[in-house]
Amino acid sequence: MRYIQRHSAFARGLHWIHTIACLSLFATGLILFIPSVAAAVGVATVQGARMVHRVMAVIFIVAPIASIIISPKGFVHFWKSLFFKWDADDKEFMAKFFPYLFFGAKQHMPPQRINKSGQGVADGALVFLSVFIAITGVIIWFPELFSTGVVRWSLMLHSGLMILIGVFMLAHIYLGAGIFQPYRGSGRLMFGDGRVSESDALYHWGTWAKEELRKGDNVITE
Amino acid sequence: MAETAILYDSSKCTACKGCQVACKQWNQLPSPLTNDEYTYTESFQAPLDLAPNTWLIINFREEDKEVGIDWNFMRNSCFHCTEAACEMACPVGAISHKENGAVVIDQDKCIGCRYCVASCPFDVPRWDEAKNKTFKCWQCFDRTSAGREPACVSSCHTAALQFGDRAEMLAIARERVDQLKAAGYDKAEMYGEKELGGLHTIVVAHRGLEAHGLIRDPKIGLTDFWQFLKPLGGLGIAATVAGLGLSYFMARGYNRGEYSYDEKTDTLTVKEVEK
Repeated sequence: MRYIQRHSAFARGLHWIHTIACLSLFATGLILFIPSVAAAVGVATVQGARMVHRVMAVIFIVAPIASIIISPKGFVHFWKSLFFKWDADDKEFMAKFFPYLFFGAKQHMPPQRINKSGQGVADGALVFLSVFIAITGVIIWFPELFSTGVVRWSLMLHSGLMILIGVFMLAHIYLGAGIFQPYRGSGRLMFGDGRVSESDALYHWGTWAKEELRKGDNVITE
Repeated sequence: MAETAILYDSSKCTACKGCQVACKQWNQLPSPLTNDEYTYTESFQAPLDLAPNTWLIINFREEDKEVGIDWNFMRNSCFHCTEAACEMACPVGAISHKENGAVVIDQDKCIGCRYCVASCPFDVPRWDEAKNKTFKCWQCFDRTSAGREPACVSSCHTAALQFGDRAEMLAIARERVDQLKAAGYDKAEMYGEKELGGLHTIVVAHRGLEAHGLIRDPKIGLTDFWQFLKPLGGLGIAATVAGLGLSYFMARGYNRGEYSYDEKTDTLTVKEVEK
C-alpha cells in the first residue's frame, strides 16, 4: 500500500490551531450576532464570550503570520497551490463541479494538479475573507482610533463577512472532512497524519499524484 | 401611557445651565471637583461635551453680528428617536423603547461594546471605560413613569423646556414658530416631528436648524441596512446547509473504485470494488 505525504506536521498544526480559533470565533460571535441569544445567556456569559472572542482573534491573526515568518517556503507553496493559472482540466473541473455535487456517480471529473480549481476558489476566498474579517474586527475592538464612518462600515462588514465565511466554511467542512461520500477519508489529510493513499490521491488530484509517484520523494510504502 | 416628549424652545433659553445641574443631581452624575480638570476655552459652554456622567449640556453657539454676537443655544442630549439606531445596533437587546417613547439603556444588560456609540447619528451615547458601560439620557423615566417631569424640565425657570403629551408639544412648537416668524425670526423652524420616525425631543430653533447645529434630515448610517442583511444571511446559511444535505443524500453509497498507477509504464488502473 502506497501513500503520499501531502501535508507536513507544521501545516497540520497550523490548520488545527486555526480550526479551533475559527470555530470558537464563530460560536462566540454568534452570541452577539443574534441579540435574543445574548439576552438569553446573560451578561456574564456574553462578557466571557467576548473575552474568548478576543483571545481567539489574536490566535486567528498571529498564527498564520507567525507561520509565514517561520516557514516562508511553506507559505509560497500554499499560495501557489491556491492561485494558479487554470488549464483546460481546471476549467472543465469547475464547470462540472456543481453537477458532481449532486450527481457524483454520473460525472467523470478531469485529473487535477496539487489542488482542484474549485479548491483554489473556495480556499482562496477563505484566505481573503479572513484577512478582511480580521481587519474589521480590529477596528471594532479599538473604535476610538477610527472615524465613526469607518466603525459603522466595519460593524456591517464584520457581520456580512461572518455569513460569507460561514457559507464557504460549511462547504469546506463538508468536502474537506469527507462528509461528501466521494470525498470520504479526506479528514485524515489535515486532522490525521497528512497522508493520502495512492488510490485517493489519483482520484482527487490525478496529475499531481502521478507526478509524486514518479518522483517518489514523498511516497511512503507500508 | 401616551407618547410624551420634551419640548426645547431655544428662543426662551437663557443657557443658565439649571437643567444640566438638575440632570446631574437627579441622576447622581458626579462632576469633576477641581479646576484643573477643566480646560479653559473662550466659550461659556461647560462641560464642552457630553460624557458618561454628563447626559445633558447646553451648547453655546456664537454667531458674529455687525455689532456683538447672537447666542444660538441648543440643548444637546438624546433625542429619543422612534427609529433609534442605537437600539438597532445593540447586540444584546440592552436598549429599548419605553411605552412613552423614551429610549433607555438597561445598564444591567449593557456590555460596553460601543456599537450604539458608533451608530447614533447625533453622537449621544458615551462609553465609560472604567465601568465598561455606555450611558445617555433616559428622559428620567423613573420620574415620568410616576407622573413627574424629567429633572431638566422641572428646573427650567423660563419654560424653555416643557414636557408632556407629544402631540401637545408639537402643537405648542408649531404655534411658537408662527409667533417667532411674525416677530421677525424668518428662519424659525421646528425639529423632531418627522425626523427618524419622530423624535421625543421636539425643538423650536428660532434662528433655523443650522444656526443651532441641528442635523437637517438626519439619517441612520448603515445600521438599519446591516440589520436588514442579518436575516438574509441566516437564509443564505440555511440554503447552504440544505444544498449540502441534498448533495449528501444524492451521493450516498457512492463507490469510486480502487485507483492505482504504474509509473514505469504510465498506466492508471481503476478496479471496481464491491459495494
